[in-house]
Amino acid sequence: MRALQRLMIVSCAVGVAASAAPARAQAPSDKPVPTQQAATQQAFKRTPAPADAYVYIGWPNDNETVHTTHIKVWFGTRNFGVAPAGTTKPNTGHHHLLIDTPLPPMDQPIPNDKNHQHFGLGQTETFVDLPPGTHTLQILMGDVDHVPHDPPLMSKKITIHVRAAPASAVAEAH
Amino acid sequence: MRRNSLFVLTAAVLTMIGGAANADPKPMPDNAKVYIIWPADGQVIPGGKFWVRMGLSNAGVAPAGIEKKFTGHHHILVDTDLPPLDQEVPNDKNHLHYGLGQTEARLELPPGRHTLQLLFADEVHIPHNPPLYSKKITIIVPPERTP
Repeated sequence: MRALQRLMIVSCAVGVAASAAPARAQAPSDKPVPTQQAATQQAFKRTPAPADAYVYIGWPNDNETVHTTHIKVWFGTRNFGVAPAGTTKPNTGHHHLLIDTPLPPMDQPIPNDKNHQHFGLGQTETFVDLPPGTHTLQILMGDVDHVPHDPPLMSKKITIHVRAAPASAVAEAH
Repeated sequence: MRRNSLFVLTAAVLTMIGGAANADPKPMPDNAKVYIIWPADGQVIPGGKFWVRMGLSNAGVAPAGIEKKFTGHHHILVDTDLPPLDQEVPNDKNHLHYGLGQTEARLELPPGRHTLQLLFADEVHIPHNPPLYSKKITIIVPPERTP
């Protein structure tokens, strides 16, 4: 019987899958992202997170010098699960990568711009393109509505030094 | 009535035997892949207690039961070959499910050689099309030293 039920669930789910957006999740329509002015007034309800959960940047290392402007970043998550934006499930969330920016307010949805990248599909790694120079990276987990958990799950803020790719590597790429 | 329920039972049993072979596997982008970030192939792990870090490129992680295109959850296959890819990944000590959407798992393995392989599957535990599985790696847990 269970198998029959499963088949039914699968066939229903296939239909839903066809219409699902593949990449960046949008903010849930029932809770509009507040304007700058409203953001200072309205505090969002935060989702609890277990005390032993933590996130970290698995790569690059703090103070790493990378010889490419196309940098892989992988997100480490321990004692916690990853779920796409819009998913309500205890002890899960999705990653946001903060680039060259301090932490945003903890009781608001995380901004969505080039300094605050959202991984609402539930991605656990990405590539970022950064110009040569010194940059900071930090991960901040967000809940179903992109609001940080309580306590917030954030990685250490790391610094990386980006150097232009060596000429030989550029030649190879072409 | 009795004949009816017998028919339903037979149908259910046949479906179970057939597994989910008729269900269309969920699509995955061609460039999606899963891989074991740590441990490395051939890694020697004294004590046999370690975290497995699960890597995923060009797709997303979602807890079991959550249906979203191009997502799924990890399974670690320990000391076993790939199961049939058109059916639910078994759930036993050789097929570990990470249905919360975990990307790291703590394992404890006895001394000896062990194989580890990741297999990604959809919200009902059925691998995708194309199926996403990692290279099968071997790790070595050295014998415990006797004092």
